[in-house]
Amino acid sequence: MTPAEPVAAVPSPTDAALIAAWQGGDEQAAAELVRRHTRALARFLAGTGAPEADLDDVVQETFIRAFRAVATFRGQCRFRTWLLTIGGNVLKDAHRRAKRARVVPLADELRSTDGDPHERAVAAEAEGRLGEVLQGLPRLQREVFLLRAQQGLEYDEIAAALGTTPGAARVHYHHAVKRLKECLK
Amino acid sequence: MNDDGTLDDAGLRQVARRLGARAADRVDVERTAQAVVARLREERHEPSSREAWLWTSPVWLKIAAALVIVAGAGVVARAVRHAPSGLAAPVETVDLGDLSVAELRELLQSVEQPGAAEPVSWLDVGLEDLSPAELRTLLASLEPET
Repeated sequence: MTPAEPVAAVPSPTDAALIAAWQGGDEQAAAELVRRHTRALARFLAGTGAPEADLDDVVQETFIRAFRAVATFRGQCRFRTWLLTIGGNVLKDAHRRAKRARVVPLADELRSTDGDPHERAVAAEAEGRLGEVLQGLPRLQREVFLLRAQQGLEYDEIAAALGTTPGAARVHYHHAVKRLKECLK
Repeated sequence: MNDDGTLDDAGLRQVARRLGARAADRVDVERTAQAVVARLREERHEPSSREAWLWTSPVWLKIAAALVIVAGAGVVARAVRHAPSGLAAPVETVDLGDLSVAELRELLQSVEQPGAAEPVSWLDVGLEDLSPAELRTLLASLEPET
């Protein structure tokens, strides 16, 4: 009996390959793209002000719009970054329609059962305050801040996604940080 | 955290990284994937049914009928507006009983004279053009009635 040969890890297909497969009619490729990016998108949307109750719907709508427009995606930035900017537009439209304010209720945050209750409360309060202050920032500053601080993107990537220059993205980020620090005293 | 209680850059980034994480964790990824795929599938099959709806919907039939009516009314209104003015002008009627004797005489004379029906500008007519009878009629009409 020959020893079993080590199975080489099959590299997961790139986003570009999945997009091409979806365009060729492969529904599972679309499903895989959704699985891959849903969490990051949901975090970004929650950070930019999506009400938690509507988060599922906004996430779905973002993916639908992205797949409809995927032919226009030229790889100027990563698919995820492109997706996040579409999410920002979906949320803007939703806000315009509903005129509802973003709420991630503090009490809801405290319902979590992980970790020390005091630390959890402090963290939830900081997040709640940050979320509130973020809503007061201009949209571009808010999105640049979240793309940089929450999603960890480089300025080049942010600039490509938002159609601006890396220098301008850096300025937006610093304005946002300055404003947030002032408001979070 | 700084001594004055403000968040430093690292603290701000740390809070930002956590922002929305709990809400995002509650999103059911697999359910989202299936829902998105279902909607995309629906949209791919939608155009044919949308076309069918377009042409069979009673709403569209009603709109088409309304458009025909509006267009028809427009054509009629345009035709009336461009009709010869003589036809459209209101006809003024005069009761002969309201006329004085002199006016009646004048009217009779104008009917008897050939070409009297043709419109004549007051600029074209002078007193010298009038006959003695017409002059008498004119003078009579200018005299105050007693």
